[in-house]
Amino acid sequence: MSLGSCICWSFFAALSGAALAVARPCPAGMALIPAGDYKLLLGTPDSPPSFPVPAFYLDTHPVTNGEFLAFVRAEPKWRRSKASPLFADPGYLGDWKADLEPGPRAPADSPVVLVSWFAARAYARWRGCRLPTTAEWERAAAAGYTSASGAGEVAYRREVLGWFAAPSPVPLPSVDCGRPNIYGVRDLIDLVWEWVDDFNSALLSGESRSDSSLDRNLYCAAAAAGARDFSDYPAFLRMGFRSSLRASYVMPTLGFRCALSP
Amino acid sequence: MTSPFRLLAMALVVLCPLRGAAQTDSPPLSPRSIYQIGATWTDDAGQRIKLGELAGHPVVLAMFYTRCQYACPMIVAAMRRIQEGLPPAVRARVRFVLVSFDSEHDTPAVLRAYRRQDGIPGDTWTLAWGKPDDVRELAMVLGVKYQRFGDGQFGHSNLITVLNGQGEIAYQRVGLQGDDGAVIHAVSLAAD
Repeated sequence: MSLGSCICWSFFAALSGAALAVARPCPAGMALIPAGDYKLLLGTPDSPPSFPVPAFYLDTHPVTNGEFLAFVRAEPKWRRSKASPLFADPGYLGDWKADLEPGPRAPADSPVVLVSWFAARAYARWRGCRLPTTAEWERAAAAGYTSASGAGEVAYRREVLGWFAAPSPVPLPSVDCGRPNIYGVRDLIDLVWEWVDDFNSALLSGESRSDSSLDRNLYCAAAAAGARDFSDYPAFLRMGFRSSLRASYVMPTLGFRCALSP
Repeated sequence: MTSPFRLLAMALVVLCPLRGAAQTDSPPLSPRSIYQIGATWTDDAGQRIKLGELAGHPVVLAMFYTRCQYACPMIVAAMRRIQEGLPPAVRARVRFVLVSFDSEHDTPAVLRAYRRQDGIPGDTWTLAWGKPDDVRELAMVLGVKYQRFGDGQFGHSNLITVLNGQGEIAYQRVGLQGDDGAVIHAVSLAAD
């Protein structure tokens, strides 16, 4: 699918990267997200307000049922009937018809959902990639359709808020339907929630406050004084969502995509 | 094509039966065993270890980091109280494990110094360093949350986990205020 963006980026890199001895081509199906800053939503009084995120490649679309099928064909231990209960809750790939047959509720071009963090990570490793970090994912998702910051675009704001308001259709639409952002990445804000590698760094929920007195100290102080930009409430929603997850959870609106460092 | 490839193939043919034999010695892991994660760690003596080597022992495990000023010393102190509170017959079999979040700072040498400074017993306690990816995976299996802050500190769950001989989570104490007796009881049950 949107290989165009990759070719475009490779071309751009070749033009601008005279200093590079060899311009590395963008991996197929991925787009380059340039280096930039990630603004922390919450922090300790001592922590910096933002930190740099190096450039990275990100899948232009979430992993689909069709792509995940290739993985479970190659790795039998990740088939629905074989997956260890330590690594995936009951319901793993529960919308598939059978171990090797996604079926009508899980069309080949729709994002794979009902996958645990462990399964998502195993897929990424199998493909030679990794899951994006929270900072990377948020940086990519903050980009608008026509600029690096969607916050200033009316269409972007309408889309991101509209998705929270609308129920998810069943089956989920094709990953090709989403409008690509300025980097050529689709579906970040309007299709499914997505796993990130370090989702367990969100120290927020009632649960985590009760089991973590250090983060209770830090979080309470930070919540009172440290929230930096209340306007980005989709990002707050995502943080709250992540903080409620456990790595074996599977959900009908939770998928993932892969990242890669150049 | 008499080449290194052929030699390699021959070597594999010779080695494979040995590997197979070695693997069949250990019983299959329980589907809930955290020893399925299979990462390799380095202890504070510089030895490479797998947590699965503790199979057969009840284990009391926590994640921590040495520069932690507040919660971690309390977790380690609680684990030491738990060790002392166990019936002697059980105590001899129980293993204690501390795994650091701070892969960058808490090298095996730093862990060794921490053990010396804190007077942590040598024979029954393992202090482990791991790659960031493996630390993340262990935390996910245990349900531990953590976040690195810019100043070398971590926010993290305060969690003491009891594993039975199979490496299944038998009990978890959440927070710093919990009752040592409940953990001691859980360890004793796991030792049966």
